[in-house]
Amino acid sequence: MAANFWNSSHYKQLLDPEEVDVVHALDKERGISTEDFKLIKFHMSNHIMKLAQHIKVRQRVVATAITYMRRVYVRKSMVEFEPRLVALTCLYLASKAEESIVQARNLVFYIKRLYPDEYKYELKDILGMEMKVLEALNYYLVVFHPYGSLSEFLQDAAISDVNMNQITWGIVNDTYKMDLILVHPPYRIALACIYIASVHRDKDITAWFEDLHEDMNLVKNIAMEILDFYENYRTITEERVNTALSKLSLKP
Amino acid sequence: MEKYEKLEKVGEGTYGKVYKAKDKETGQLVALKKTRLEMDEEGVPPTALREVSLLQMLSHSLYVVRLLCVEHVENKHGKPLLYLVFEYLETDLKKFIDSHRKGPNPRPLDTTLIRSFLYQLCKGVAHCHGHGVLHRDLKPQNLLVDKEKGILKIADLGLGRAFTVPLKSYTHEIVTLWYRAPEVLLGSTHYSTAVDMWSVGCIFAEMVRRQALFPGDSEFQQLLHIFRDMHNPGNKVYLWGGEWIAGKPTEKMWPGVGSLRDWHVYPQWEPQNLQRAVPSLGPDGLDLLSKMLKYDPAERISAKEALDHPFFDSLDKSQF
Repeated sequence: MAANFWNSSHYKQLLDPEEVDVVHALDKERGISTEDFKLIKFHMSNHIMKLAQHIKVRQRVVATAITYMRRVYVRKSMVEFEPRLVALTCLYLASKAEESIVQARNLVFYIKRLYPDEYKYELKDILGMEMKVLEALNYYLVVFHPYGSLSEFLQDAAISDVNMNQITWGIVNDTYKMDLILVHPPYRIALACIYIASVHRDKDITAWFEDLHEDMNLVKNIAMEILDFYENYRTITEERVNTALSKLSLKP
Repeated sequence: MEKYEKLEKVGEGTYGKVYKAKDKETGQLVALKKTRLEMDEEGVPPTALREVSLLQMLSHSLYVVRLLCVEHVENKHGKPLLYLVFEYLETDLKKFIDSHRKGPNPRPLDTTLIRSFLYQLCKGVAHCHGHGVLHRDLKPQNLLVDKEKGILKIADLGLGRAFTVPLKSYTHEIVTLWYRAPEVLLGSTHYSTAVDMWSVGCIFAEMVRRQALFPGDSEFQQLLHIFRDMHNPGNKVYLWGGEWIAGKPTEKMWPGVGSLRDWHVYPQWEPQNLQRAVPSLGPDGLDLLSKMLKYDPAERISAKEALDHPFFDSLDKSQF
């Protein structure tokens, strides 16, 4: 929504990784571990992406929606804020905030078609949750994403390799399956994605990175986090996600 | 909401009523902006969402009205209501100008005050633009004024960043066209920060004249007003040249203007000298005004550049 990240509320809201991984006390009572917590957020991010593909909204809306969802769980428990309903509501809110409005009833229609067993929510549930999510976000809705700087960087680095561009965009999309956007400035996430893609495609752009006057250790640390995620990603099964989710519905 | 005592209704915003109220505990005066939540259909109106999130980002500037907090309450029918709680300013620039034109003591606005108000307005606009936010509906009614302290602040960011500027507001009140930039009137889809600077220019002239510069009541008429009255006073070159008015736009003057969606062939007038519209303005002021009213958006002065214009040299900037 806005162009200058360093002046934004997003910048002022960046968190330490320790703050992001805290499982709410209410969720702990149900046996939710830090790992479960991450898994559920991962799963919900996928739902948001999938639903967004069906209703055809821009990637930016998806990214904003997932950021909202992840911000909500920095402050609120999953017991009180049911993840599926929060995911739906965040996509709805993001579509409004990013000015590509989706009707709530369309969301309800498509999510039921996609996941008929999981989603029983109606229009009124989304509208009811909307206010709660807004308050949980303290009405901070402006979010910056790596996409803007990514295009500029790719242009600046004069990378004309189409594959390289596509891979980088794909990696950026994947970063939303993690909490990176809550912790790191978006431009640095973009750089980490370019770094990974350049290694993958065997492109030597070291000279370009050096000219940036950016602390490459910070960039590489993010890249390591992303690579770790890809490594773990293989072991994420439907079953593990379902086990984590089922803990939420158990009474303590 | 029991915290506040409603004193009176002071206005109707883009999407709801505005009340003057008092914080019962601190005695602080606030403006309560009630948003209408159409909860049966589409939840919190996007205009309200946009305004809140932009204000959260922008309202730490002195020149943007401060959002104190957001209150979510239910009315007596159990329907949710959203109140935006703003700092209260007693009047707005429209009422302020009106009070100098009508009433018991009509008189021009003090030149130093015009300078100061315009400077604060440019400060606020520069702040918004620095954050990548266009206001898109700057007009005297949206500029709040504290008469005693001589402070001016930008309010009503409801249209900020909206893709289109609606012709009618939600209350079916016609949104005024008087401050609308020609590229918007001509249907340009890619407009920029320059649209706000056009509005700033119109507001500047209005403070000097005590009446609107281009008071059109339809989009067509609005354009006619602009085309007829515009004239670059400095070097006697018409901003809107005769050739252009006859329907042959010179790309030199405004690249691409002829291809704008709503471009038509307009009749030709004997252009007026801009100075005739603002006779009391000195050369520096006239120069700044003509730079704000450049036809080509790319040539129009930016808010940041305007702050350094010689017109403000005599202003004590340390107070800002």
